[in-house]
Amino acid sequence: MSDAIHLERLHYRAGRNFEIKELDLHVPSGSIYGFLGPNGSGKTTTIRLILGLLRPLSGRITILGLTMPDQYAHILGRVGYVPEQPHLDPTLTVRELIDFQAAFYPRWDRARAEDLVQRFELDGEHLFGRLSKGQKAKLMILLALSQCGDLLVLDEPTDGLDPVVRRDILSALVTYVSERGATIFISSHLVHELERVCDWIAVMDNGRLITEAPMEKLKHGTKRLVVMNAPAELVNPPFRVLTRESANGGGGAGENWVVGDWEPGMTSYFEAVGASVRDVIDLDLEDGFVELLRSFRKGGTGR
Amino acid sequence: MFHGIDPRSPIPLYAQIAERVRLAIATGTLGSAAPLPSVRQLAAELRINPATVIQAYKDLEAQGFVEIRHGAGTFVRELAPGRRARERSQQAVALVRKLLAEARRSGVSLAELQRALETELGAKTT
Repeated sequence: MSDAIHLERLHYRAGRNFEIKELDLHVPSGSIYGFLGPNGSGKTTTIRLILGLLRPLSGRITILGLTMPDQYAHILGRVGYVPEQPHLDPTLTVRELIDFQAAFYPRWDRARAEDLVQRFELDGEHLFGRLSKGQKAKLMILLALSQCGDLLVLDEPTDGLDPVVRRDILSALVTYVSERGATIFISSHLVHELERVCDWIAVMDNGRLITEAPMEKLKHGTKRLVVMNAPAELVNPPFRVLTRESANGGGGAGENWVVGDWEPGMTSYFEAVGASVRDVIDLDLEDGFVELLRSFRKGGTGR
Repeated sequence: MFHGIDPRSPIPLYAQIAERVRLAIATGTLGSAAPLPSVRQLAAELRINPATVIQAYKDLEAQGFVEIRHGAGTFVRELAPGRRARERSQQAVALVRKLLAEARRSGVSLAELQRALETELGAKTT
């Protein structure tokens, strides 16, 4: 399967304090790809690089098999984008904004736009500037879906919205994917929402990619272990140690470890070095995400 | 039928969906030839990836519970006599295993568990 988005050794700098370094990203066609990271980690900058709104110092950007920025116009005709902040003219009505947007896209799907107006309960005569936050978000999604792109790039599309609006938006996105098999690249802070819908996850921090993996692999490979008689030094462990610290209650209670790339049966590694694993605890995506960040910031093993 | 599907659970979503369908078939909620919700419908309703629903339906087909008719939908298959009952007893075993694992984790002893079970059932087992 080819990649809908392919970034190779991307380098970008903004001022003295922020840079994106050696960024490699592979977003498989047809995936719903979740892009996680704390504020200021470089998510929005990466999205702007993907869309050609910023130029990298070096590296390659391939979108839907085409090269950015050389084939800029071809790419943007097939990509729907929802920015973090709506940027539409507040003095136009919902209907006018839909008509305006439609004029730019040859593949515009009038029936879909109409259906989404109904489904999202939008009033065509209302001025954009007077819409609630949730209505604005729904309209942005409507515009992105109706242009019938092969790739949707969504920058925190549901963050800060109420649960009813989030549900409506996610249902519309999922329906679109079932019908058209498009790729969705979605950045968010709402880990539980991504956990539901995404099949790939990437985590950024401080301008660097910490991890990129299929959701199931990331979830199943990240565990909390309770280790007794843990050795001070590890030699070539088959898993990644993200964090280790003594358990509450000191020495007798063993150590709490968080590991990545874990597979069942790896407990034998500990037995071979005279230690034992008392418990293997599953982590959900949020716990895994937090542990990955902690490990990365301590200068741990990173990727 | 799909109420309480939990994306945070270590059990993958497709396995959770397949288990719900098997349960519904075992208990007769879904009879022979009953249609399953379409992929699009179920994905939108649960707000999950359509690929997850497809995976669940494919697994159910491989296990002989449903038939995927392309363009028409997914339907419950006629089950061999006894299979429903067998499936129900397997569900019962799975429930007990889950209960035991939970009890072990929270330090509840077998005797305590048995007493609680008897009280809840309102009758002493012999």
